[in-house]
Order: sequence, then structure tokens, then C-alpha cells
Amino acid sequence: MFLLFALITIIGALAMSQQKNVIVAGLCMVLTFLGVAGLFLMLSNPVAAALQVIVYSGAIMVLVLFTIMLLNSHEEEPAIQSRPIQRWVGALLIAVFGAFAFRIVMGSKALVDINTLADANTAVRPMEAMNLAKVGEEIFRHYLLGFEIVGLLLLAAMVGAVALTKKEL
Amino acid sequence: MESVAHSIGLSAVMTWTLLKVLIVFGSVMGVSSLWTWVERRGSAMLQDRIGPNRALLFGRWQLLGLPQLVADGLKFFFKEDQVPPHVTKRLYWIAPMLAFVPALIGFAVIPFGRSFSYQGALYHLSILEPGNGMGMLYPLAIGAVAVYGILVAAWSSNNKWAILGGMRASAQMVSYEISMGLAVLAIFMKVGGYDPGEIITEQAGVLWKVLPNWFIFRQPLGFLVFFVCMFAETNRLPFDFAEGESEIVAGFHTEFGSMKFALLALAEYAHMTTASALIATVYFGGWSVPFMPEAPVLLTILFFLIKLLFFMWVFVWVRWTLPRFRYDQLMFLGWKVLLPISMVNLIGNAWWMTRGGH
Amino acid sequence: MGVIVKKVELTWLDRSYVWPVFKGMAITFRHFLKQITTPTSKRFTIQYPDMKKAMPPGYRGLHELKRFEDGAIKCVACFMCQEACPARCISIEAEEFSELNFTQGFEEKRPSSFKIDMLRCIFCGMCEEACPKDAIWLRNEYELAAYDRLSLNFGKWDLINTYATVDGKARLAQSQESPATPSRPTNSGHQADPA
Repeated sequence: MFLLFALITIIGALAMSQQKNVIVAGLCMVLTFLGVAGLFLMLSNPVAAALQVIVYSGAIMVLVLFTIMLLNSHEEEPAIQSRPIQRWVGALLIAVFGAFAFRIVMGSKALVDINTLADANTAVRPMEAMNLAKVGEEIFRHYLLGFEIVGLLLLAAMVGAVALTKKEL
Repeated sequence: MESVAHSIGLSAVMTWTLLKVLIVFGSVMGVSSLWTWVERRGSAMLQDRIGPNRALLFGRWQLLGLPQLVADGLKFFFKEDQVPPHVTKRLYWIAPMLAFVPALIGFAVIPFGRSFSYQGALYHLSILEPGNGMGMLYPLAIGAVAVYGILVAAWSSNNKWAILGGMRASAQMVSYEISMGLAVLAIFMKVGGYDPGEIITEQAGVLWKVLPNWFIFRQPLGFLVFFVCMFAETNRLPFDFAEGESEIVAGFHTEFGSMKFALLALAEYAHMTTASALIATVYFGGWSVPFMPEAPVLLTILFFLIKLLFFMWVFVWVRWTLPRFRYDQLMFLGWKVLLPISMVNLIGNAWWMTRGGH
Repeated sequence: MGVIVKKVELTWLDRSYVWPVFKGMAITFRHFLKQITTPTSKRFTIQYPDMKKAMPPGYRGLHELKRFEDGAIKCVACFMCQEACPARCISIEAEEFSELNFTQGFEEKRPSSFKIDMLRCIFCGMCEEACPKDAIWLRNEYELAAYDRLSLNFGKWDLINTYATVDGKARLAQSQESPATPSRPTNSGHQADPA
């Protein structure tokens, strides 16, 4: 199951970056999001999975695709000139980023725990399923400050967007 | 159950799940195809017409026009599956499935009868067992994905009418999802949980000694918002901007023919079934029988069916009563009316609950 | 000339949109109940092949060439209808009807062929009005369809017989008439129906 969802995610992501067509790329991105939602489910976090589907693939990608359709760019314009340097720099950045991500994941506490548990040959503790109540508790008890700051930031962004689009206030 | 499970080589749980999947999806598909007939005959009756009654079974039985269903199905199957030359092939092929599958699987979380225990094992009458952590978020998520069917169908057909329809549909669904979510949130708050089973058990009992303790009586505002949003989510009139046949030919399914069109059309009805089930579950006590706390299981299933079919009938009824909105009216209603109402509903409920009310 | 538009003041209940929706739905539901309880024969829809609409008396449908009680055609081949026809669908050929010459002392004309092309006919009724002898009527039959064009070119005998079954009259055919003509009794204006 994990392999299935991981494959969906990775294939979606790769297809998105390779796709010439903007809309199809967007749909591949939706596929990636759905794969990630599946991974969340595997991590026994159905709330995150549901929110991932609702927010990312349900709302944000729809808006992105909507905008693309509105701009009506059906055909991909060919690149005016190939840019080899950018390409190499991009590849290098990806490699560096990937290496760091790999190190961080491999060194994370959860993974170490799993490894040690597996080594100790003890029964793996079944992870407790996340539910909405717990999410709410976490947000409003432990991460209240962060939550408020994010809320404020989004509000500011919204006001800014309105101010930019309205000609006369 | 054990012996049956053993004979087909599956575990009892798997067999039960498989059985439920077959029953639920079979009946959802059956009801949605049946509803194409109800829509045509019902609309005819609402408008003092007669409706389709010329198709005869074996050239003999009219059966209230039901053979029309068979005739239509056969026609769709045997039609040439024409793919217009200008479409984006692969997306054009998967679009009907993208529309149909979310409409169907949204039903999975809804319990259609009371859980019962048989030979010491507890059986739940919903495909996803209660306490799965998704609860009511699941239909919302599926509803959010459902827009892709229309969007992909619209875009892949490479037709200006279709794209207009798809864009309208996506804008509409995104804007109405927020109000719907807020309306349901008020229910979550009241129940203190978000599992459909919990929502239904919360609605057991009697309100003011005369009414069943349904949420429609306790949150009429929230019901109004949710109900309207359900119409918008299913793309039914008065919100059928995706197809609006008097304005944009047939909208997103202009370029679709034969079984692909049939799937797109069926998706709408399957969506309607799921939406009615949601309305029945959240605001009308789901399978609970009013004034009968310990109703037998079959009776609860029957009551769920009655509620479901009633709301599907309301979908038809409203469609043939109200005209389509104008696009700006739709946006006005969504953002400036329903959103504030649902917010007021949510905050009012929160305030009421902090004051110790129920 | 302007029209003064009266502005309808809506009450707050009507502006809420919810109440009018209920009213509308009540109306449609009333129609639904009424329609579903009405037996099929009394509904507004006339289910055509099974039921037919009774046409009003003035209806201008398929033509009939009238005949006397003795079966002789009323038409005198005066060509009035052919002249009056705006669609020019009537074509008449006249012949002398000579045996009356001896009995009644005058000669008469009658059509040897009287054709109406139903594909051209616009059913305006001008022929009916032009006819001095009331010989051509437009009546209530409206089912005029055929699989080929020729069969809608109605001849004299077709036109005489168009309403024969409706009126319960015997059908006349050319084969019956032609031998009957010479043997017609010469001393009486009236005679039994040839059939």
C-alpha cells in the first residue's frame, strides 16, 4: 500500500514536471496530492488526509486550473532559447536539496525509534489514529501562537490582494 | 456469515465489507438510473404533461414508461462511440470516470441502517466502519474532488461552450463548499464529534415533546445553507451552470456521446443520491425512526430509504420549479448571503453552547 | 407612447427568496397531484395514435368531392376552384356528360379527372369558397402522410371517397361507374346507389 501511494505521488510529480501542457501538469499535481493524502492515511492520520484532499486538491488546484483556463493558454509556447546553465544549476540544487532531505528524514527521531524498536524485536506500538478533536487541541493549546500568526498573515495577504485589485478604495 | 465467508475463501470481515460494497454501490447505481425515469415522468407531472410512455417492453407492456430506461440504456450502449477530432484524447477518455467515481464513492461513509450484533459480532451498515477518523470530512473531500470530472471533461473537449461551463462549475463549487463546510461545522460542534454515526445518535429522542430531535429543527439556518449548497454541489437547477443548455449549449458534456455521455449524466444522479443521503443523515436523523428509539434494523433501513428517496424527489421537484440563476446572482448568493448566514449560524451556536445551551 | 411601469413593492418576506420558493413549490406540487390523479383520458395531452383530437366544425382538412344521393358527382367542372387556388394544386379536365342531353334537355359538364396535389395544397379553403355548387368541401381529416409523393396526388375517385368510411357511405370506384353509366335508367333523375 505504501509503495502504491508513494509511486502515485512520485509519478504524479515527475509527470507534472515533464508535462508540456499546463492543464495536464496541473492534473498530475492533483494526482500527487491524492497520493500524499493516501500516505497520510497510511500514517493513520485520516484528518490530515481529508484536509489535504479538501484544501489542496479540492480548492487550491481548482483555483489554479481555473486561472489557467481563464488565461486560456492552450498551446505551450516553445522556449525562445535553451538555457543550459539554468538547467545545470537546477539539477545541482535538486541534488543538494534531495541529499539534505534524505539526511533529515533518515536522522529523524521517529525513524530511529522504529529502527530501534525493530531491532529490539518488540511489537511495534500501533500508532493512535488522529482525529479532529486532537487536531483542534493541538492547534489551540500547543500551537496557538503560530496559528494566530498564520491567521494574521493570511488576513494581511487577503487585504493586500483586495487593495491591489481594487482601483479606488 | 462465517460459513459463507469460508466457502469463498475470505475472512468474515472482508466478506461483510464486500457484501456492503455490492449492496450500496448497486443500489446507488440502481436508484440513480431509476431517477432518470422519475425525473422525466415527475417533471412531466409537475408541468401537466405525460412524459415518456411510448417505449414498450416486448412491444406489449407500458409499465408507466419504465421501459424507456431500458431503451435509453440500450441506445447509449449501441451508439457509435465517436471521439471528436479536436479533443485531448486521454483526458477525454478518463473524464466520465473522473466524474462518476467520486459521485459514487461519496456514499461510502453514510450508515444506512442501525448497527446490529449477530452471533456475538457487531455489524455496521456503512461501508467505512464508524470511528475511521474521516467521518463527515470524507464526503466533503470527495465532493471537493468531484469538480475535476466536470473540469477535465470541459477542458479536454476543447470547445468554448464546454470550457465556459467547466469554469462556471468550478467557480461555483469552490465558493459553495465554504458555506457548506461552515454549516456542517456547526453540527460537528453540537455533536462533539464528526462521525455520521455519532451525528445520527445525537438526533435520537424527542424535541419539545412533539418533534423528532432532528437537526433541521435545531439548526434551521444551517439546514438552509447546507441544502442550498448541496444543490450547488450537485450542479442541479437552479445552479446548473455547468450545462445551462439555454446559454452554453450543453456545457461540459457538449462533446460527449454514447456511453460517455451516459456516464456523465449518471454521475449527476449518483451525486444527487449521495447528496440526499447526506442531507438525510446530517439534518434528518439518518436511519433513526422518529419516536422509536429501539427500532428493528430493517425498519431503520426502510426509514433511511424513505428519507433518501424523499430528498431525491425534492431535487427533482425544485429543478422543475425554479429557474436558473444568473451567474452574478449565483456569486452574490454564495458569497454575500450564504457565507454570512453560515458564519452567523456557527458563531451563534458557539455562543449558545458557551452559555450552556444545547 | 410610453407605458407606465408600475414598480411592485416586495415585502420583506418576498424578498427573502425562501418563502416565494415555498410558494412556487406548492404550486408545482398542486399541479403534480392534479395531474397524477387525473385519468389519462382527461389530461390535457392527447396521446395521438391512441387518441385523436376532434377537430372543430370550421376546420379545413382533407377535401371531399361531394356527390348527389344517386352517386353522381356534384362538380360541374367550372374551373372556379382551379382559378381560385393560390397554390395551384388543383388540375381539372372536363368532359361532356352527354346522356342527360336526352333526358333533361341540357348538356352538363363534369370532370373527367380532378386532381389535387396534397403536397402543394395549403388548405386555405379558397376552393370551397369559390365553388358555386358546394361540390368541394374541406373537412376534418388531417392525417395526410404517405411514403411516396405520388400517393399524395389525389385523383377524382380518391377525393370522392375520402370521407366514405366516416360517413358510412359506400366507396365509389371507377370500375363500378363506367359500365354503370350507359345502363343508367333514362327516365328518372334519381336512382339507387350504384353499389
